[in-house]
Amino acid sequence: MSMPQAAERTHLALGFVPLLDAALPIVAREGGFFAAEGLEVTLSRESAWSTLRDKLAAGLLDGAQLLAPLPLAMSLGASGPACDTLAPLVLGRHGNTLVLSAYWSEGMAAPLDDSPGGHDPAVNARDFAERLRRRGTTRPRLAMVHPFSSHHYQLRDWLTLGGLDPDRDVELVALPPSRMVEALEQGRIDGFCVGEPWGSQAAHRGGGRIVATGAQLWPDHPEKVLGVTRDWAERHPATLQAMIRALIAAAGWLAESPEHRRQARDWLTLPPYLDRAMDHLPTLPLGEAPVDQRLTGLRPAADELAPVVEHLARQLGEPLERAAVEACYSPVHVDTATHQERA
Amino acid sequence: MTPSPPLRILLVDDESVRAAMVEEALGQEGHEVICHLQSPASLNDMVERHAPDVVIIDMESPDRDTLDSMSQLHRQNPRPVVFFADQHDPESMQAALKAGVSAYVVDGLVPTRVRAILEVAVARFDAFQSMRQELDRTRNQLAERKRIEKAKGLLMKHQNCDEPQAYQTLRKLAMDRGQRIGEVAGNVIDILEGLEKGL
Repeated sequence: MSMPQAAERTHLALGFVPLLDAALPIVAREGGFFAAEGLEVTLSRESAWSTLRDKLAAGLLDGAQLLAPLPLAMSLGASGPACDTLAPLVLGRHGNTLVLSAYWSEGMAAPLDDSPGGHDPAVNARDFAERLRRRGTTRPRLAMVHPFSSHHYQLRDWLTLGGLDPDRDVELVALPPSRMVEALEQGRIDGFCVGEPWGSQAAHRGGGRIVATGAQLWPDHPEKVLGVTRDWAERHPATLQAMIRALIAAAGWLAESPEHRRQARDWLTLPPYLDRAMDHLPTLPLGEAPVDQRLTGLRPAADELAPVVEHLARQLGEPLERAAVEACYSPVHVDTATHQERA
Repeated sequence: MTPSPPLRILLVDDESVRAAMVEEALGQEGHEVICHLQSPASLNDMVERHAPDVVIIDMESPDRDTLDSMSQLHRQNPRPVVFFADQHDPESMQAALKAGVSAYVVDGLVPTRVRAILEVAVARFDAFQSMRQELDRTRNQLAERKRIEKAKGLLMKHQNCDEPQAYQTLRKLAMDRGQRIGEVAGNVIDILEGLEKGL
């Protein structure tokens, strides 16, 4: 076993969007896991995925929490200027919810309860399609967070399960996660697919109902990843490994006990992080149905991205090269980082 | 050479002063600026209604993802907006990013025209930034001057001296400690007010 090299850079700026799966970088900072690796990390809250992407590509951020499809979309030049980007670590699995307004969801089964259709996302999807045909109103407007997101793809998959055409039967728009609940309550959108805590917040406040979850549609899917540019990774290999070790340590600590998860929830509630968005969370059991947000299983694997690759190829109108996908979601960085002893 | 036709520009910016600066500058270049101070309720509808050639938006705006999606979705939209990413001109991209300007333009718009608009917006965003820094500095100076006046008043009262003497005392303290006179004034106020409360 080799000893790790000293980090090339000790002061890092990492970007995040206020969501429950920003938990690992926040825990790594507040719990001292970055510090234990000799890293001083500033977490920079960003209000849009495109801003996170552009700042990362321009080198204004060292790394960022990214939507899992985004590093590949960036590498292919499909989102913003082409920028070779890597996803060396998964930051969370599951956590997405599909919420419909009270008007569209009345009487529908909860995603994972024992009522008919509770475990099959197609039942609510067909129900929605049937209501749409019967009501014959203007196309419902459904929101997701970004064109290159699992939210967009899962929403399309769910509509397809119901026999609907996502391009013709509904209108898809992108909204920032923090604006979803309000837009739904004001009737500007009819439903959305978003990461936690926003779906459960909409349900908690009564503006809508969770009718399907990402965990149902894509079991175990990697939802967010750590993103770094290839250029940055090549210039800072030891820093990247230290960062990965710190995040893995944070995940291990979090999994250890309910007290640790409660402590993490308190950190997430701090104003620089999720702030008021967390107000309803004490009512929610973390890591359980229906949301089942998982902050473990951080080693990336290209095969797990299969649904993302399929949707991305459809968006670009051409098949993707397997090598590009494997290079982007390679587990080599995790393996290198975890096979070295701590300094 | 015939002058280029004016462009329709949608400006989305919460900073009203900055928005006014950009609007005026672009208006002087002969462009038609539709200005929106608050994030519009539905940016999608707004872009469809006004069919702008260019959207200039604060990089920190949460509405950026909405604009990002409009080039990917809505194939029925007659005026798709695509992210301006001139890879042949990394310097102007960097300048725009640093100033906090992001721009979306319709496909096919001549790059030189986009660049000219972007330069105007970047210059105004930068100018606004310096203006705000200047304002902060002035505010700090004003606060410091008030602090010095107050410290002088307290010294005059407690040491039974006149104003020039009080000022000399502050200056000497500052020189001895290698601090700015404003900082020393703060300390003096704390100590003398503490004394007064204790009395």
